[in-house]
Amino acid sequence: MKTLHRPLNPRRIGVLAFHTFTQLVRMKVFYFLALFAVIVIGANFLELPTHAAPESSGVELLYAIKNTSIGCMSLFSIVIAVVATGLLLPKDVEDRTLYTILAKPVPRLDYLLGKFFGVAALIFVSLAVMDLLMSGVLALRLGGVLEQQRAAAEAFGYPPDLIESQLAETRALGPTWNLQGAVFVVFLRAIVIICVALLLSTFSTSTLFTAIVGFLVVFIGFFQADAREAYFQGTGVLGRIGSAIMTTVLPDLQIYNLIDAVIEGKVLKALDLLKVAGVTLFYFIVYTFASWLVFARKEF
Amino acid sequence: MEHAVEIENLVKVFPAHFGGRPVRAVDRVSIRIEPGQVYGLIGPNGSGKSTTMKALLGLVAPTSGTCRIFGADSLAVDSREQVGFLPENPYFYKHLSGAETLRFYGKLCGLRGKALDARIDELLELVDLNDARDRRLGGYSKGMLQRIGLAQALIQEPRLVILDEPTAGVDPIGSRQIRDLILALRERGITVFLCSHLLEQVQEVCDQVGIIFRGRMIREGRLEDMLAIEDQTELVLRDAPPELVDEIRRLVASADGAELVRAGKPRTTLERLFLRETVDRAE
Repeated sequence: MKTLHRPLNPRRIGVLAFHTFTQLVRMKVFYFLALFAVIVIGANFLELPTHAAPESSGVELLYAIKNTSIGCMSLFSIVIAVVATGLLLPKDVEDRTLYTILAKPVPRLDYLLGKFFGVAALIFVSLAVMDLLMSGVLALRLGGVLEQQRAAAEAFGYPPDLIESQLAETRALGPTWNLQGAVFVVFLRAIVIICVALLLSTFSTSTLFTAIVGFLVVFIGFFQADAREAYFQGTGVLGRIGSAIMTTVLPDLQIYNLIDAVIEGKVLKALDLLKVAGVTLFYFIVYTFASWLVFARKEF
Repeated sequence: MEHAVEIENLVKVFPAHFGGRPVRAVDRVSIRIEPGQVYGLIGPNGSGKSTTMKALLGLVAPTSGTCRIFGADSLAVDSREQVGFLPENPYFYKHLSGAETLRFYGKLCGLRGKALDARIDELLELVDLNDARDRRLGGYSKGMLQRIGLAQALIQEPRLVILDEPTAGVDPIGSRQIRDLILALRERGITVFLCSHLLEQVQEVCDQVGIIFRGRMIREGRLEDMLAIEDQTELVLRDAPPELVDEIRRLVASADGAELVRAGKPRTTLERLFLRETVDRAE
């Protein structure tokens, strides 16, 4: 009996994704994690000028650890998403390994998804490790800061309920679920950037082109919501259509800026997280479909 | 009978780039290969051999015409279940070992568990790479890469193997190993479609040959028929005394219409001499 090799076979995609993950790991991408550890531990020893009252001291340090860590996570995820994705496909074509893969019963959509999930898995694991390290350092420092603040507040003779409320505010700057949510948003943003890089690499023949255009799209993505508002404000139905097209063609990465609010200690609402996840899913479907349309017709 | 390969009036035109002219890489090529045959497609560089193979593998879409593998349209993914392919000068993933490479390709074909393990062992044995099974491909020689490439092509036990310049850049020893592997495939009943411009090698392994030039099939047929010089007969004698040779010469001279064209000592080829002095001596 003949086997029908339909696209979207999870096992096949899994094999390709695991291989892509292994390939990137063996390219020593995880060396970045050692650098990250040095940066986070370094941030831990930053002596920042402070204007806070003694009962609020140590807050800047917590901000610094979070800011540095999330900043590094963002940088790492963006660079890996663009460069690793842009590297893999042209390299497979250049080395002719793509021929041997596509000469097997592997639908082209599965190949693309395998590459996508491989890079996504690498970023997910990296962010998880970085998150663990950041949360560990934050938890360690938070304990000291809380003790320091409690001692200062008690020395000033603050009432216990006021002390508790102040300490609760400081705890919100520690390793909370909100912070984990922010890291997840960093991951979701990386997903969109992988999709963009994958689409670019389906018609580009060089990693350099994909990387340059990829970073350009990311750069525009951070500002496109402002530009969209400036161009299409008050232009009626046509303006709304133009705005929708612009949002689809160039990803709106400003949506993911709620990471900054979380660093400030603000609460990440479940609805906002859901909205960001929905937008990510939309971009994933649109860009993967476009990548498949280009790649399915590509000749080697 | 179902053909292993059936290419009908294949035309492939590559569109023009930057004001250039379209390139007609393959022009109405038709090929039929019976199951179990070794077919050699020969021609100079740029004659359309690789494009024909790529069309057969669905890597390029025909401008017109059809390609079928065991009756299935080669543009359909399912047709590739029966095919193994070794491209010209392949560079497999350098970070994988020989065994990992075969495992990767085996899993892509749906093989799992003990069946896959057994298949990997069998193929590493076949291509004589058991000793290098755990070494990363980055450390493989050109000949070893070609052999591991041949092993990956065979991983799902295909009925058809397509080889694009299988010995390009390989030394005579590696080249002989690959030739022996092709002969072993023929013995197993596997159809082989190879393209090469190394004519001597094609001559040694192929049953059927097609000559392609500037995209067109200019001659095709059984190798024996194509190479035989119909009006000549060859006798090769071992340890013949001079008197016997003289007797044969006299007989030929006395026969009506027969003519002795050439007599002398047959020569070996440089490749055979090299192999005899290197590998065969070592064995």
